[in-house]
Amino acid sequence: MTITSAGTLAILIAAVALVTLVVRPRGVSTVDFYLAGQRVGVATNALAICGDYFSAASFLGVAAAVYVSGLDGVWYAVGFAAGFVPVLLFVAAPLRRFGEFSIPDFLGRRLASERVRLVAVGVVQTVILVYLVPQAVGSGITWQLLVGHGLPGLSAYATGVVLSTAVVAGLVAFGGMRGTTWTQAIQFLLLLGALVWLAVAVAGSGFHYSEAVADLSAEPLANPVHGDAGWHLQPESNQLDPGAPATFGQPGAAYGPLAQFALILTLVMGTAGLPHVMNRYFTSPTGTAARMTTVWVLGLAGLFYALAVMLGTAARQQIAAAVEHHPWLEELTVDGVLRVPEHALPVLGRIYGGDSGLAVVAAGALVAVMSTIAGLLLAAAASWGHDVYERHINPRATQSQAVWAGRASTVVAALAAGALAIAMQPDDPSPAVPSIVAAMVTWAFAIAGSALTPVFVLAIWWRGTTAAGAIAGMSVGGLVSVSMFVVGALPVGPGLGETLVTPTLVAAPLAALVTWLVSRATTPPADVERQWLVLHGTAADRHAERLARLTIASAEPTRRRRGRGTRRQGDRDADR
Amino acid sequence: MEHDDDGVDEHDTPAEVDAAFRTLRRVAIAHFVLFLAAVMGVPALSLTLGWWSGGRLAGGMSPGFAMAAFGLYGFFLVIGLAAATLSSAVEARMLGGRNDQGTDYAGDPYPSDGELQ
Repeated sequence: MTITSAGTLAILIAAVALVTLVVRPRGVSTVDFYLAGQRVGVATNALAICGDYFSAASFLGVAAAVYVSGLDGVWYAVGFAAGFVPVLLFVAAPLRRFGEFSIPDFLGRRLASERVRLVAVGVVQTVILVYLVPQAVGSGITWQLLVGHGLPGLSAYATGVVLSTAVVAGLVAFGGMRGTTWTQAIQFLLLLGALVWLAVAVAGSGFHYSEAVADLSAEPLANPVHGDAGWHLQPESNQLDPGAPATFGQPGAAYGPLAQFALILTLVMGTAGLPHVMNRYFTSPTGTAARMTTVWVLGLAGLFYALAVMLGTAARQQIAAAVEHHPWLEELTVDGVLRVPEHALPVLGRIYGGDSGLAVVAAGALVAVMSTIAGLLLAAAASWGHDVYERHINPRATQSQAVWAGRASTVVAALAAGALAIAMQPDDPSPAVPSIVAAMVTWAFAIAGSALTPVFVLAIWWRGTTAAGAIAGMSVGGLVSVSMFVVGALPVGPGLGETLVTPTLVAAPLAALVTWLVSRATTPPADVERQWLVLHGTAADRHAERLARLTIASAEPTRRRRGRGTRRQGDRDADR
Repeated sequence: MEHDDDGVDEHDTPAEVDAAFRTLRRVAIAHFVLFLAAVMGVPALSLTLGWWSGGRLAGGMSPGFAMAAFGLYGFFLVIGLAAATLSSAVEARMLGGRNDQGTDYAGDPYPSDGELQ
């Protein structure tokens, strides 16, 4: 690692730690620790949601998937960006208006059942762990490339995993949701800044996007594989037309016809069930603000993914052309194609900005990992601390004890994720899937979209949803999705395997059907009409808005008096 | 029911909420169908129409790649903004009107009870 790289990373981590220190929660209230006092503004919350959502899978994985598979990799970007449309339409405003701490808390109260709460905790913790592991894997891969060596007794990969999870766990345990909100907002701006800088540098060098797609599509798509004779390029087989070669600009390089739709639907449905993203909606002051926050997120996500796709395309073309002038690329590539597709953006950064460029992009990748890990750890803390500890282990817990339970759970979740990431270090980095990081995140989306989203949406929009129906739906959705993963990992034949590892297409409708059938046979909560007023009424929103107006109105005279005082002081200064 | 110090009654009646809920559900489902048609339609066209993924726009990018690379994200923003604006307008029109006498209707020609001023 050069001094520039080390300096960039050190400044970044110091800045994030400083923000956390400045805006940390002063009290010990759980509403402050988990929900930042429910006073996070639209723009700030949108930036923080983006920091939460744009993980290693988005920053490294989408560009890597496009790099390896062309158009089939672009479906990751489409699915990740599209996921917020159903959130806006069906979830954001009612979820905030109901106003709880977490997804299990929402389902438990809405359906008046502690069993629903505990089953939801199980599903949420599974989603969090499955989502945490690829983030830690992404930080290990980035550290390998950026630093190349590890702490004594640890490999470079393991050092990246350990340091990133330890630093973030410390920041979250200390800063809570308020500190995390601001650090995530700043982290997203850093992340977007790195992407914009790289896009400007690539475009400024004479890169023509449209022509690059046409050029890359003119020849068969081939990627490195490691065989008995070492590394060599192997043309990708076309999943749609086995007789024709797969190309960059046409579908079929990675997915068959059904798998293309299954992947997009898995990502679209999964977003509404992601605990760390949905928890952010509870921090909005009103339901309307939560809805408008999602509109901002849609705009920012569109910009982010459009840039990521462009840079994946640029990497495919520019890295091959740069091997001749950059000897350091020899050990990373096979005939001009990267062995590890997740290296696409960092390598592009080094080509256009030298060591500083590599540091900026690698810092962006670590920021993406850290902000998502922070959101996931906080969601784990809310779920364990509020839904399990406060409700079932120590119902008489003081606010301080509950907050400490949340802090302890962040450490436990970080340890589990770090250990699993080290155990699951990818030995063979050849691209069996478009991007190992993006693929692993897809599993989390699949479980969330299969087990949580159908129940979640039904609980919000159908009065007849019952606790028994929700438990049955979550169980069926979770079990079917995990079973399909397991079967998909077996050699089941071309096309079918890819469909099975994106199981939402089958599991979500099944979960919704089971929820509906069981709910029809059981009785909804007695106070469902009162809950409907809270979920779909706007009285609380109007109350919060009027309080805010009154607060501003009462602050105005003070400000005016201060302003007049300042003017008088200014006049006196001028007279002198 | 919530009452404020200035006497404004902040609550919604079950009938109001039910009517607003049904309208919002229609808005959400209509936008979702449109969204689903677009997000599934782009890969479907790539699989079925040769010119969609094989044709060339100015510069050489195919229509299918252009839609997936940036066109769809613009569409998501437009449909999201439209749905959010319409949903908020529905809520403002159908909820809280009768009791919220403190609301300033200046500039809004349609009061919340639906009658023209």
